[in-house]
Amino acid sequence: MTAAEALVATPISGPAIDFADISLDLGRTRILDRVEFQVRAGSVHALVGPNGGGKSSLIKTLLGQMPHQGELRLSWPDAPGTIGYVPQALEFDRGLPLTVDDFMAAMCQHRPAFLGLSRRHAPAIEQALARVGMLDKRKRRMGALSGGERQRVLLAQGLVPEAQLLVLDEPMSALDEPGVRVFERLLADWRQAGVTVLWIEHDLEAVGRLADQVTGLNRRVLFDDAPTRALTPERLLQLFSSHPRITGEATA
Amino acid sequence: MNFDYEQLRLLIQSWASAGHLPQALAYGFVVNALLAGLLIGPVLGGLGTLVVVKRFAFFSEAVGHAALTGVAIGILLGEPYTGPYGSLFGYCLLFGILLNYLRNRTGLAPDTLIGVFLSVSLAVGASLLLILAGRINIHILENVLFGSVLTVNGQDLAVLALVALLALSLALPLYNRIMLASFNPQLASVRGVAVKRLDYLFVLLVALVTVASVKVIGAILVGALLVIPAAAARLLSQSLKGFFWLSVAIATLSTLAGILLPVTLDLPIPSGAAIIIVAGIAFALAAIARGTLPHLKGNLG
Repeated sequence: MTAAEALVATPISGPAIDFADISLDLGRTRILDRVEFQVRAGSVHALVGPNGGGKSSLIKTLLGQMPHQGELRLSWPDAPGTIGYVPQALEFDRGLPLTVDDFMAAMCQHRPAFLGLSRRHAPAIEQALARVGMLDKRKRRMGALSGGERQRVLLAQGLVPEAQLLVLDEPMSALDEPGVRVFERLLADWRQAGVTVLWIEHDLEAVGRLADQVTGLNRRVLFDDAPTRALTPERLLQLFSSHPRITGEATA
Repeated sequence: MNFDYEQLRLLIQSWASAGHLPQALAYGFVVNALLAGLLIGPVLGGLGTLVVVKRFAFFSEAVGHAALTGVAIGILLGEPYTGPYGSLFGYCLLFGILLNYLRNRTGLAPDTLIGVFLSVSLAVGASLLLILAGRINIHILENVLFGSVLTVNGQDLAVLALVALLALSLALPLYNRIMLASFNPQLASVRGVAVKRLDYLFVLLVALVTVASVKVIGAILVGALLVIPAAAARLLSQSLKGFFWLSVAIATLSTLAGILLPVTLDLPIPSGAAIIIVAGIAFALAAIARGTLPHLKGNLG
């Protein structure tokens, strides 16, 4: 089944996102400069660009954690749904006696995690761990996991509660081969459920293979197109050069 | 309730005199102190796990030391020598909140900022105490610095009970969220955690618990009981469950042992020092166990 067929066959549950003229200054540095693009409801939308190009800041803006200029609109199909977020990494003491189950409990439930999983959330947590292939390692300490395994757990927490908009910050950076397959399966599931996915990624091959649309961001939007048209050598050269010239004017 | 407690205490004392209970319990102050220990031990041990997870150990030590200055200000302002709770709590809370505020605002590393605050606060406290030294009995200062079980009275117990209740009712429902906020603030706020507000609440909790424990443990050492039991438990446990309950157990046992041992062995050691020494021994044993027991060894992550 192709992406287009999936979109036709299933109802859309995720929102469309409209970034309209978004600018962001931190101190005297301009981080985002009149960023303007749309994310189609129920699509898998990749965000690519160099480090320091404003990808993470744009996501912070979307998640409501950065004061910005311009307008950012989420258009939900029905009532506003749940937003899931998968961060790139966690900051914690590697020696902390925190098992995968403890971590999931701390993320998903109110009942103190040291009292174990709550009966209400246990099935969803178990299912999420199964989907990322970490069920057999649920009693392992987070600090003892490999980077790829930890990333799978981060993906699992993004599944509880079930989200209609998923924001992923480089979810593949530490994944091994089987991990990549897990991620691809999740993407397919989200696509089928009509979930909107906004996805920061460095791996351009994966973006070309898996995304419906890709936006190149280096302070400004340099391109916003289907991957086959967007990911050309010229455009990528322009995107990853340190002084991108989009209007033709020379920067001093 | 106060009256009931008086009766209970007298009953325990009479049983002890009759030889049914350990001899030390024949003294009213020992019963009072043990009850105080039973109240603060679990609270300090439980809250300590969050202190360790959030890497707030140095911060709690600093708030503990701030208690010294708080006591000095209290006595200077004419509060009773034995329980200047108003100034004690006011000053510790101000200290913690200001520290947290500046940490958010200045971008200085927390340990740098705490270093500044701690030294200035101690300098002020030491100056005030020496000004006061001519006016009050120096033994009172000793009690304030290192804790004393002799002076725990009904009012102290009431304060402790109230603080313990407050700490439990705030920290338990928010335990996961406080932890989550330290793992990844952005993820936490997407999940509806008010990260900044929660930080202040945590500061408030640490200040409250610290102030309530000063009577038994003393201003110099009170911060240590938020850190040592949790640190020992962290060495021994493999899950959050073990971590939390071990920390609670070590803190409670250290407190009770530290109160009872000097009394039963007739040693002139202040209760605070005895409590921390026992906790320190527990930590040393935990470290040895970590280094020698096969299933704990090499589990550094």
